[in-house]
Formats: sequence, structure tokens, C-alpha cells
Amino acid sequence: MQASRARLFKEYKEVQREKAIDSDIQLVCDDSNIFKWTALIKGPSETPFEGGVFQLAFSVPEQYPLQPPQVRFLTKIFHPNVHFKTGEICLDILKNAWSPAWTLQSVCRAIIALMAHPEADSPLNCDSGNLLRSGDLRGYQSMARMYTRLAAMPKKG
Amino acid sequence: MGNNEKVAVAEEEKKSVNEVVEVAIETSYVDNDDWATYRDDEVMQQHNAIQAEEAHKLPFVGDKEPLSALAAEYQSGSPIIQEKIKLLGQSFSAIRRTRGDGNCFFRCFMFAYLEHILESQDKAEVDRIKANVEQCKKTLQNLGYAEFTFEDFFALFLEQLESVMQGNETSISHDELLTRSRDQSVSDYVVMFFRFVTSGEVRRRAEFFEPFILGLSNMTVEKFCKASVEPMGEESDHVHITALSDALGVAIRVMYLDRSSCDTGSVSVNHHDFVPSISDSPNGTTNAVAAKPVMTLLYRPGHYDILYSK
Repeated sequence: MQASRARLFKEYKEVQREKAIDSDIQLVCDDSNIFKWTALIKGPSETPFEGGVFQLAFSVPEQYPLQPPQVRFLTKIFHPNVHFKTGEICLDILKNAWSPAWTLQSVCRAIIALMAHPEADSPLNCDSGNLLRSGDLRGYQSMARMYTRLAAMPKKG
Repeated sequence: MGNNEKVAVAEEEKKSVNEVVEVAIETSYVDNDDWATYRDDEVMQQHNAIQAEEAHKLPFVGDKEPLSALAAEYQSGSPIIQEKIKLLGQSFSAIRRTRGDGNCFFRCFMFAYLEHILESQDKAEVDRIKANVEQCKKTLQNLGYAEFTFEDFFALFLEQLESVMQGNETSISHDELLTRSRDQSVSDYVVMFFRFVTSGEVRRRAEFFEPFILGLSNMTVEKFCKASVEPMGEESDHVHITALSDALGVAIRVMYLDRSSCDTGSVSVNHHDFVPSISDSPNGTTNAVAAKPVMTLLYRPGHYDILYSK
């Protein structure tokens, strides 16, 4: 408990320092609970998520950093490795490939990389995965872009 | 061991079947976005539950047992193994088991090394390894690791090293060393320290390790470290042992207990000494090295335990 708190505090300081460098990630700690964080990440360019801003929720376990944080999308996203309803993310570093060398910040970077490089063979969203696996790149991109517009962009007017 | 593992696997398979059924039911109904229905959480919980169940069977580091306990395990087993255990009995008197959780090599190394320091009170060796640990820290920094990600693990190992030296306020007894080695908040942190050190060494000498890693796993050095060295619970192979032995300058003897035998029919127990290489260190200085093995580990396919000489 003490160890995880101390580590998160260090990450907090690091995040303040990196703010200026990495403008694609805005990582914020809950005011009253250092085990709850949210992040705003920019959809990577040249993907159907470009122009969108996606919100992630982090729940950090007491055994952190020996155990990974739980992360999910709060913003709706159409992506093979993100559960369409719960926002759960299928990413190895959030499960068995986790190590304390990762940080909340680098997890965000890994999620941005996942958005740009979907793994259609381990889908949590089968509809999305099937479009990619059947080679319907256009179908996948237009669905993903539509949901980016609907859910991840500020409403006009 | 083999049997326990099979049972565990079978049980896990059973559980995962149940899970699939549950998931199938769940996906047809699930319609709220509450944390409570978050499946990852359940997977983690189940994982922890399995670990807790395992923990009852054997602590991270077991008690010292006479070698006859090993013989008893193979009473109705392979005659070659029985013969080899007899041979081991000529040189070794006892065995200390570690939990088969994928961290057994590192856990063995931790306990055997700290116990060695506790018993030898070898101040020169402590100073020597501290210098190497400092070197490992620099290696990780040079590789681009943020210091705050590994410093707690380094600090905790150095703390254990200090406390096995007697005559300080913080000095600990052999019993306390055993207690700490069984305490997850100490034991896992020290294991993780070794994983960082191992990963740093493999990546620093990527050219040297690359062919071995390709032979093992067909992964790049970078990927291998990320997937098979740094995560807890990933089993160790000769690459890990070589790297840790080199980085810390600690020689390790491994006795191999398997069913292999010579064509002539005579049985002998193979062993291998991992003697740290002293040739290349990052800044041209030569890392000090203890060439004589300070520990002997018993390897049975998939698992390491500690052996005690007569």
C-alpha cells in the first residue's frame, strides 16, 4: 500500500514534467484518490481515430506496480481490441506481460499504438475484428470514423 | 511437482471452460458500464485466488529438508533419477524448495545469496556486489529506463544486503531472513530487482545474447526482455541465469536432475557452472567477480530448488 502510493506520487511528478513534451496525452489524478486516474488521449493521425479525443479510466491496485493498472475506455470506440460496451482493452501489457518498468504514461502510449495497429486476431469487438480479417478495410475505417465523430469529437454549435 | 502441475493445469482448464460459458451468458445480457461487470477485474481476482491456493501448498521459500525428502518423491519413479539422487547424496545433505510460480530461479538466487552473506559475513563480497549493483543502475539509465520505475526495487535489495550483515541496528537473524523471503512485499520486490538487472544486462550485451535468444524463442532481444524477463512469473532459462550471473559477478552451479544417461549405461549427474564473464563492462573497468560458485541449485525440468553441500 505504502509502496504503491510512493510510486504513484513519483509518477504524478513525472507527469507534470512531461506535460509539455507529450501533448497527445493528458493524464490527471483524481483530487481525492491517488489510485484513480483519468487520461485524455488524442487519436493517432492517419487512423480513423484522428481528430478524436478519447477518455480512459485508470484504477490502480494496491499491489501496483507489481500488478498492472486496470484501464478502460470511457469514450465509445470501434476497435477490434476494445470491448464496445465496457471499454475493456485487450492488451498484453495490461495482463500477463505487465512489468513495473511500465508507467501510467507509457501505458497511454501503448494504447495509442494499439489504436494505430489493431490486432484483428484477438478481438474483443468481433464485428470490428471481422471487418479487418475479411479485408474490408474501408468498412472498418468508415465505422471507426463514424464512432470517432459521434463520441470522441466536441459537438459543433 | 509434475503431478501438481498437471492438476493445476487441469483445474485451470476447467475454470476457463466455466468462464467461457459465463462470458457467453454475460454478453447476451450485459448492459451497464459499471466497474463491477468489468471482466478484467474478475480475471485478475481469479488469478489471485489461484495464487493464494498455491501459496497454501508451499511458501515462496520452503524449509531446509534432508535430501531423503527428494528421494521419497521418486520412490516409484524413474530408476535413473533414483540413481542420480543417490549420487547427489554423496555431495549434498539438504534441499530447500521454492514455489513453482515462474520466479523460482530468482527466488532461489535471492535466498541462497543472502544466506551466504549472512553466514560468511564477507564484507569484501558485499562491497563488491554493491559496486556491481551501482553499475546495473547505470546500465538501466543508459538504456533509457526512468529511474523511478526501478529505484524502489534496487533500494529494497540493498536494504536486505545491509541487514544480513551483523552488528547493525537493522541486522536480522536467519529466521528473519526466511520470514522476509516468504513475505510477498519483500520477496517479490527482490525478485523484480533481479529481473531489472537481468533485463539490463541482456539488452546492454544484445549482440552477445541475440543468437541464444533466437534459439530459444525467435524473438528480438528487446521483445524477449519485455515479454520473458521483466514480467513477474516468467520462467528463467540459461539466458537469464547467464545475464544475472554476469551482471552481479556471482558464480552459480546448477545440478541437472533429469532422465538422461550415457550410452555406456553409467549414470552421472551433469552440472554446469555459470561463471561470470569479466571481459566487457560498459566503461572499460573490469567488474570484480567471485569465480567460485556461492550457491548450488538443483534443476529439474521447469523448476529450480536450492541444494546444500555436506
